[in-house]
Amino acid sequence: MNRIWWAQVKAVVRLELKKTFFAKRGLWIYVLAALPVVLYIAYAVVMTNQQHQTSRLARRGEKTLSYQDLLAAKAGMTKQDVTALLGKPPVTFHWTETRPKGPDTSEEIAHEDYQYSDGVNDLYLGLVNGQVERVHIREGFNQGQDSTMFAGIFQFFFLRLAVFFGCLGVFMNLFRGEVLDKSLHFYFLAPIRREVLMVGKFIAGLLATCVIFVTSLLLQTAAFLWHFNPQAENTYLYQNHGLEHTAIYVGVTVLACIGYGSFFLVAGMLFKNPILPAAGILIWEFFNPILPPLLKQFSVIYYLKSLCPVDILAPPGAPPLFALLVSSADPISAPVAVCGLLIVSAIALTISGVQVRRMEINYSTE
Amino acid sequence: MSDRIIFEDVSKFYGEILGVNKVSLSIPPGITSLVGPNGSGKTTLMNLMTGLVKPSRGRIQVLGYGTEVPEQLFKIVGYSTQFDAFPKGLTGFQFIYSYLCLSGRDRQEAEKLAWQAVERVNMVEAASRNVGSYSKGMRQRIRLAQALAHDPKVLVLDEPLNGLDPLARAEMIALFRAAAAQGSYVIISSHILHEVDVISDQVILLSNGYVVAEGQIQSVRSEIQEHPTQILIRCDRPRELASKILASEHILEVSIHNDGRGLLLKTRDADRFYLAMNELALNGIQVESIAPADDDVLSVYEYLIGSEEVVR
Repeated sequence: MNRIWWAQVKAVVRLELKKTFFAKRGLWIYVLAALPVVLYIAYAVVMTNQQHQTSRLARRGEKTLSYQDLLAAKAGMTKQDVTALLGKPPVTFHWTETRPKGPDTSEEIAHEDYQYSDGVNDLYLGLVNGQVERVHIREGFNQGQDSTMFAGIFQFFFLRLAVFFGCLGVFMNLFRGEVLDKSLHFYFLAPIRREVLMVGKFIAGLLATCVIFVTSLLLQTAAFLWHFNPQAENTYLYQNHGLEHTAIYVGVTVLACIGYGSFFLVAGMLFKNPILPAAGILIWEFFNPILPPLLKQFSVIYYLKSLCPVDILAPPGAPPLFALLVSSADPISAPVAVCGLLIVSAIALTISGVQVRRMEINYSTE
Repeated sequence: MSDRIIFEDVSKFYGEILGVNKVSLSIPPGITSLVGPNGSGKTTLMNLMTGLVKPSRGRIQVLGYGTEVPEQLFKIVGYSTQFDAFPKGLTGFQFIYSYLCLSGRDRQEAEKLAWQAVERVNMVEAASRNVGSYSKGMRQRIRLAQALAHDPKVLVLDEPLNGLDPLARAEMIALFRAAAAQGSYVIISSHILHEVDVISDQVILLSNGYVVAEGQIQSVRSEIQEHPTQILIRCDRPRELASKILASEHILEVSIHNDGRGLLLKTRDADRFYLAMNELALNGIQVESIAPADDDVLSVYEYLIGSEEVVR
């Protein structure tokens, strides 16, 4: 019996994959998956351009500087101290500000901006009347910052919007789309257990979303690493856990497809209009951090957030509600998160199995 | 295992709308036609029989199988529906092949059966074309091929002759007859009564969700007492014969046929009339044939349901 089920599942998957990958109504899912890739490509182009400028700046400098030299510049240093330490600045900008001092008097303040570079990082110094007041270093490769940026885009755009809506588009249409196309009877007329049909459709949806979104994630990573020089890339991937993080992100994406997929599969069977359940699930996921502990567990993002390798912190001074919604207040261990998500998905699939048995072909009421 | 398709007090309501009500049937092998106007419940009855809709009340068994177990039911049932939508992007062959793969058959067997089915409905040349490019008649035939592909014991065909040209109709009717001759159960819905009359072994007349009559058409007709039986006598001297016949007390009405080569009479007791005909002194009147004129589906349908929606 299991052999027949497996053959039937394969037949369903073959039919569904073709439909899912090439459906015109699913084109927007590709756009959604491509958006972060485009974002990273744009970021890489900007960063590469900046690196060229930085290199040019370093070449124009009087001295060859190291990162330590840049760090040595401090507020309070005089213009002479700075020149002695870093040489004549390759880029300067100066202007005079006239500031009123009394009813008829005013004073003139000399402003100067210096820019130095070690070839990778830029140092910006703001001098007022010949004394350093502002020091800012723009790091060419701030891997910690870049890693947090990647994590932020992954969690707040890719996971919660792209994968969420992509799964909505794919899984909700597995049954609902067929009802709207009036073609579901094709499956219901075959000697196949309805539960086996449901599993076949789910696997097809899962394969399609995983291929689309994991490919997107890998392209994002490639685009993200594009502006890194080989040494920085090596450091990021092998010393700063970049490779490990990428593997975890792939796992989280697959789990997200399983979790959201099972939710949207059952929603597509229970509701005629997908907008309402989608909005409901989106709100539920968004407000998950402020839900009671028991209810939190019936959510996908609750488990996924705990699995993400980089924790996103709310910026200082952010409103408390925003901070609560952003941060992972009570993270759980990875095995518990994976098991929890799989259990929640299994519950959703069980409900789908019961529902598919009850389904009738009655297109005229749709 | 039962050898019948059984409906036990089956009702189906779509919300407040009646689909069929209190239907009890026992359908034997052979060609059974469901006859009734649009909205009478023919498709609902077929969908109930195949489990596509579930009864609000009652029980259905198809040769011993419940309709709630499609994995068993569709091993013996093939259903050609009226739904004119197909999975997107499939050719005619792929449509049948995919259906056979869904039933768990391996690729080789599915391919062999799919080609056989395509051949049976004369669609070999068009089989590699996308179903989306088919004409209505071709779509009808490819649906029939799908229903026939796994050689089912029960064939349920919803308006199977719709959209077919006369030649294709004749071919399909021959196909149904061949299946019935092999002991299959062929359930056909139609509102084209003369076709039903030609092909059916038994009929089920439906009106407004109720079964108004069922069985062999002649026996159904004989049970309709309020309408006198019409008999057509073909003879060379109809006027002479009419004057002789009118003397019989059970004859209600006699009229000369439009072509002038026969007469049409109405009687409340056909058996007594036939006996009387044997005793009648015909005095050289050449009687060519004597046959009932209103024991066809059309007449029975008109008597029981009315003529408003009859398609001749």
